[in-house]
Amino acid sequence: MKKETTKFLGYERPDGSVGVRNSVAIISGGNCSNELAATISNQVKGSVPLLPDFVCVRFKDDNERALRTMIGLGANPNVAAAVVVGIGCEHIGMEEIYEGIKKSKKPVEFVTVLDSDGYEPALEKGLAAARRMATEASQMQRQPFDLSHLSIGLKCGASNATSGIVGNPATGIVVDRIIAEGGTVIFSETTEMIGAAHLIAKRAINKRVARQLTEAVDRMEARIKATGEDVRGSQPTPANIQGGLTTLEEKSLGNIEKTGKAPLQGVLENAERPQGKGLYFMDGSAQTSELVVAEAASGNQIHIMNVGGGISSSFRGCLVSWSGGLQTLPVITVVSNRSRPKDPREEEFFDIFADSIIDGKETITQVAERLFQEVIAVASGKLTRSERYVPHFQMPLEMYHTGPIL
Amino acid sequence: MKRSIMINEKDNTGTCFAAIKAGDKVNIVTPSGEVVQEIISRNPVPFGHKIALSPIKKGEKVLKYGEVIGVASKAIRPGDHVHVHNVESAIVPGN
Repeated sequence: MKKETTKFLGYERPDGSVGVRNSVAIISGGNCSNELAATISNQVKGSVPLLPDFVCVRFKDDNERALRTMIGLGANPNVAAAVVVGIGCEHIGMEEIYEGIKKSKKPVEFVTVLDSDGYEPALEKGLAAARRMATEASQMQRQPFDLSHLSIGLKCGASNATSGIVGNPATGIVVDRIIAEGGTVIFSETTEMIGAAHLIAKRAINKRVARQLTEAVDRMEARIKATGEDVRGSQPTPANIQGGLTTLEEKSLGNIEKTGKAPLQGVLENAERPQGKGLYFMDGSAQTSELVVAEAASGNQIHIMNVGGGISSSFRGCLVSWSGGLQTLPVITVVSNRSRPKDPREEEFFDIFADSIIDGKETITQVAERLFQEVIAVASGKLTRSERYVPHFQMPLEMYHTGPIL
Repeated sequence: MKRSIMINEKDNTGTCFAAIKAGDKVNIVTPSGEVVQEIISRNPVPFGHKIALSPIKKGEKVLKYGEVIGVASKAIRPGDHVHVHNVESAIVPGN
């Protein structure tokens, strides 16, 4: 049988990666320079601010992770070019972020207040660089590429009894197809694996990967236990049980159903870039905004967010916050069970309605096909529901940290 | 006809897409929509809850997603509601 090859239209980058968006990123090195980065971005069409919630009172591991995150976000193929801005005295050095992003061979510059003659000259330098980059980016054209150039992130939230039998299995089918066509998929939520690591570990390509997964989950459980809490004893929750989930295993399996059936190729540190293609697990918390940012730092160009339902469309803020405030990343939101009776305002909120499976109007396979086509359309430039809103303010990007803050 | 989904062909449970009354006929469907079994419910099964597709002896594995979600804590007959009253976790004692 001839292998099927789907194509999407993307922007080729100098390192051979392919962007599905073409942003000029104005990257701030920490809280102190967020205002400067936002001021530059506000004045340059085609640019977006990447403003980390990062202060210089964290420990080594957290500093290194923050550095890896900022480099990863800048090197992400959805970014055409980057201006790194800082005060010049940050713990995570501007020069290190600059050098890290530069390895991707895309245009990048760095500007600090201390290396300029103060704030105003730094602002002028940043604006000039961003305008030049935006003009260059505006001349790039989309070209067809196969799915080996695509990396997708996964996360589910507001899960209910339908997540594991509607949206997650449909997503799993899409994941299997993307991987079969050479693509990459990254999932995380280490906390969700507690008690169920063996279920995903048995899909690992070798014992080393299986051990790395188990160790990551054990570390997380030990950290939680150190606070005096026991996750195992509290799962599934009374609401889960009322909804039909019987055991911790069933809840965890419903969650990992969205990862399909492909073998697990590797376990990544938070915000680490995979070295190969296929399915990867990334260590991290289950906090959506933090996790989406870390997965994008790993190179994901698109994120699929699975929602159980019951979320009022009046929570418009979720459109922005689910993406972690990251404007370089399109998020496709899938709802398993929409409000009943139908709330027309939800049309604004979700990209894929999967409740047709519950009603018997569509099968899981048919919804998976619809989601797959949406991924290709979004990869080729179609705006997702959340991308249509320009946020009134830029949320700071949250970063996973394991150490205390001084 | 009310439907219950058998996500994996190995499963001995189906998850119900509608609230089911005792005595209801239920179609068991696959992810591609094929009806593979028809079962008569022995108990009420709420929306999102599981129904047994085959007999499961006490101590035997309860399967969903093609995986073990727990073990039967008492004998389960086809058409029974499968939940915390007749299944316990295989990994969390007493749960």
